[in-house]
Amino acid sequence: MKRGMLLTDNRPVTSGGTSPAVPDQPSPQTSGRGTLMVRELSTTFRSSGREIRAVRSVSFEVHPGRTLVLLGESGSGKSVTARALMRLHGPRAVIQGDVTLGEVDLLGVDDATMRGIRGARVALVPQDPSAALDPLRRVGGQITEVLRLHDVVPDKAAARTRAIELLGQVGIPDPERAFRSYPHELSGGMRQRVVIAMGISCDPEVIIADEPTTALDVTVQAQILDLFAELQRRLDTALLMVTHDVGVAADIADEVAVMYAGSIVETGPAREVLERPRHPYTQALLAAIPTPDVARGELVAIAGSPPMAGEDFPGCAFAGRCPFVQDSCRTSPPPLVVVESGHLAACPVINPVTATTPVVGPSTESTR
Amino acid sequence: MISFLLRRLLAAVPILIGVSIVVFITIKIIPGDPVASLLGPTSTPEARAALESRLGLDQPLPVQYLQWVWHLLQGDLGTSISKQTQVLGLVLDAFWNTLILTAFAAILAFAMGIALGAVAALRRGKAVAALGNAIALISISLPQYSVGLLLIIYIATGTGLLPTAGMYDAIGGGGWGDLFRHIILPGVTAALVPAGIIARMFRTTVIDVMSMDFIDALRARGMSERRILLHAFHNTTPTLLTIAGLQLGYLLGGVVFVETVFSWPGIGLLVFQSIAQRDLPVIQAGVIVSALAFVVINLVVDALHATIDPRMRAHS
Amino acid sequence: MATMDVAVAPRLRRRARTSGTRRRLPLPSKIAAAVIALLLLAAVFAPLLTSQSPTVGVLGDRLLAPGSSGHLLGTDGQGRDIFTRLVYGARPSLLTGMIPVAVAGLIGTAFGLIAGLGKPLLHSSVMRFLDVFYAFPAVLLAIAIAAALGSGSSNAIIALSVILIPPIARVSEAETGRLRNADFMEAARASGSSWSALAFRQVLPNIAPAVVVYCTALIGLSIVYSAGLSYLGLGIAPPTAEWGLMISDLQQYMFTTPSLLIAPALAIVVASVAFNVLGDGLGNYLNVRSEIA
Repeated sequence: MKRGMLLTDNRPVTSGGTSPAVPDQPSPQTSGRGTLMVRELSTTFRSSGREIRAVRSVSFEVHPGRTLVLLGESGSGKSVTARALMRLHGPRAVIQGDVTLGEVDLLGVDDATMRGIRGARVALVPQDPSAALDPLRRVGGQITEVLRLHDVVPDKAAARTRAIELLGQVGIPDPERAFRSYPHELSGGMRQRVVIAMGISCDPEVIIADEPTTALDVTVQAQILDLFAELQRRLDTALLMVTHDVGVAADIADEVAVMYAGSIVETGPAREVLERPRHPYTQALLAAIPTPDVARGELVAIAGSPPMAGEDFPGCAFAGRCPFVQDSCRTSPPPLVVVESGHLAACPVINPVTATTPVVGPSTESTR
Repeated sequence: MISFLLRRLLAAVPILIGVSIVVFITIKIIPGDPVASLLGPTSTPEARAALESRLGLDQPLPVQYLQWVWHLLQGDLGTSISKQTQVLGLVLDAFWNTLILTAFAAILAFAMGIALGAVAALRRGKAVAALGNAIALISISLPQYSVGLLLIIYIATGTGLLPTAGMYDAIGGGGWGDLFRHIILPGVTAALVPAGIIARMFRTTVIDVMSMDFIDALRARGMSERRILLHAFHNTTPTLLTIAGLQLGYLLGGVVFVETVFSWPGIGLLVFQSIAQRDLPVIQAGVIVSALAFVVINLVVDALHATIDPRMRAHS
Repeated sequence: MATMDVAVAPRLRRRARTSGTRRRLPLPSKIAAAVIALLLLAAVFAPLLTSQSPTVGVLGDRLLAPGSSGHLLGTDGQGRDIFTRLVYGARPSLLTGMIPVAVAGLIGTAFGLIAGLGKPLLHSSVMRFLDVFYAFPAVLLAIAIAAALGSGSSNAIIALSVILIPPIARVSEAETGRLRNADFMEAARASGSSWSALAFRQVLPNIAPAVVVYCTALIGLSIVYSAGLSYLGLGIAPPTAEWGLMISDLQQYMFTTPSLLIAPALAIVVASVAFNVLGDGLGNYLNVRSEIA
């Protein structure tokens, strides 16, 4: 793994600000549960001589008991980001930046240590619950395997008891029966609950959920989101949820980070961002969502399309589609501007930089 | 599970009926008048008519077919023209020897095929994988009679270590050790083509399974690559079984060439000898017994498949 | 108008994809194609490549070892030049390998189309009919048919065609089935296309690549089987020069002059490997999976 390289920062610091990229959040608690801190994470895929920069220097934090939603359309790099945090990016990707959980440098530890962390301290709930389970093995065995793997239970009997308890916790009506079932015998919603049970089985500090409701029926989606909210409250877990669904973000997020073409273009408290978006992309995204109070015909599709994978652009990725575009947008990358306390948007055009709204950019040295 | 097996058994019945019809047709397509050839050119029309009715050949075809099946069900597969004995006994003795050769070849074929296929799948893009693919492709193309003869020339007579023919030494032979010495070359010859096919199919299967989402989910749960591989291989077993069913059938058929080249006293050699003597009842019996064995093998494979894959039991 | 666009889409898409990913026929397949071309040329121009007779030998020159003057590959038990017989043998050996695949290719594809496009009852009856043939070890069935019909190349061709039909039909059925519910099929049906127009204009061009790739690889197998039938005494009758026949003929001198066997044994291997390698490369090139089962 390549890391520790001098980061090519596409958001130059224009003022001497040294505050973190996401300031004014509840400070990391001292309950032993760590905060997930991501600093200037970049992921580059190398395929047949071409370089595809899927994630471009993103920074964020997820605190215990809080939910950060990474919001973006497919191809925006949100899933790649989520997977890179767990180093599940595959051999053809190169990661740069810093990811720490508590005191642990997730990108720096050796593979064996990382395996001990995956599933135990950081759990992933993947997109398609049907595909995330081994089709040939009973659900119970798959859960107890994780419990035994991370040594959270002393023996087989305890693993069984704990697994059934977990299945009950995620709201499965007959956990004993589910324990003995094969994945294909359960409904999609039940399978997702099983996958969530596996996710929380080792009491992780962070749960990364990658579009956990996309493959489910709408009615089941709401139940699963409720379950996430409830579990997170009870277990005091940091939740990073990746979704393309603004509704999901509105439902569950404490903070939202909007991704576009590999960068975070806007971040802040969920209400702030979703009600008073300060980046042209977020504004366009929210305008494109059908809601009951928007009259038919008012719905605005965003003209144009995002940059192609592997396409390089010197300035703002959204410049080609942006109604407020100026010449400077195409030449230099836009800095993240503090719009309000904790609310940042990477658009200096509609958020003029004044003395009271300083531009911040992550500085490599100061945030280490 | 039991109802699953019963359904499978029931489904095999029409197949068996079809098999018997096909074999019956191969009897009926024999050119020439069987009665005339039995009695010779000097026979009188009356004598021919008499024999015809004695053999039931004056009956309509469906009746002839039912009579033939009735005999078949009683184990009467006819009389060998050249040996003048009941075909069933001949074929069953030979079938046992064929089964030994087939089983040995199957073990070899699966060992080689799985190893080759796993290397080709797990080292994709590396030279060793390309080599594995090439070996598999070439071994698929090998004619067993060519390979068998070359092995006899260069290995058996070339080194003198292994016998060139038969199942046991004529003098002082017998026992497992002797059998093992004799089975190596024909076994290898018979195994090559299936090994290549298994390698190619297994490679595809491993690649498919390794790209399934649950493998990635295992990784995300902190499992080591070795453990993930075990789970992946477990998930290739249903496909492996399907392959096994097909390849055992191939082996049962392919032994004709192998047994002929190595004079292995099985069904294949029996069939070969019967070709020269136009001893058609023996050939038909060989085909029937092999087809029956194949159907039974596939039933067993289905049952194993169902024990491994819970979805199989639910479906069909 | 709209229907038209949808209906022609798949073929265009396939072309776009193959050119877009810069697929090329791999080198081994090019070599294989060259080898096949050489074999076919040898088969056609056999009389120009050798001045000796493939069927009448010189009795004084019996069983000469390879490398003897005038007999590059030696002579057989009747004093016939093995090189000459090998070259002349290419014609029947390749033909009895290729013709069954052509015959079975046409019939099998038709079966697959009928099953794939037909009503459920028709579909299942065709497939169950094919299942019956799958219950036989293929080589044994071919032997039984060829033995019943009597030896001779046309009977061997019939026997081989019969056993090659079911696997080709399965490939054709599977490919057709994949298209059955495709949008462009719905569109064609909605625009009132007749059954035959659907089969020949829409389905056939789309399943052709997969079937052709599969058949190419089957030629290798068919050459091995047809030479095998001759080897067992079921194919072409002596004294015609044919590879399988040459092997069974030279086998009797296996312990005295084994080197004579090598040429015909390798000829079959080379032809079979060449077709399989070509089929494999074509499969990659046209992006279809092919597997001999």
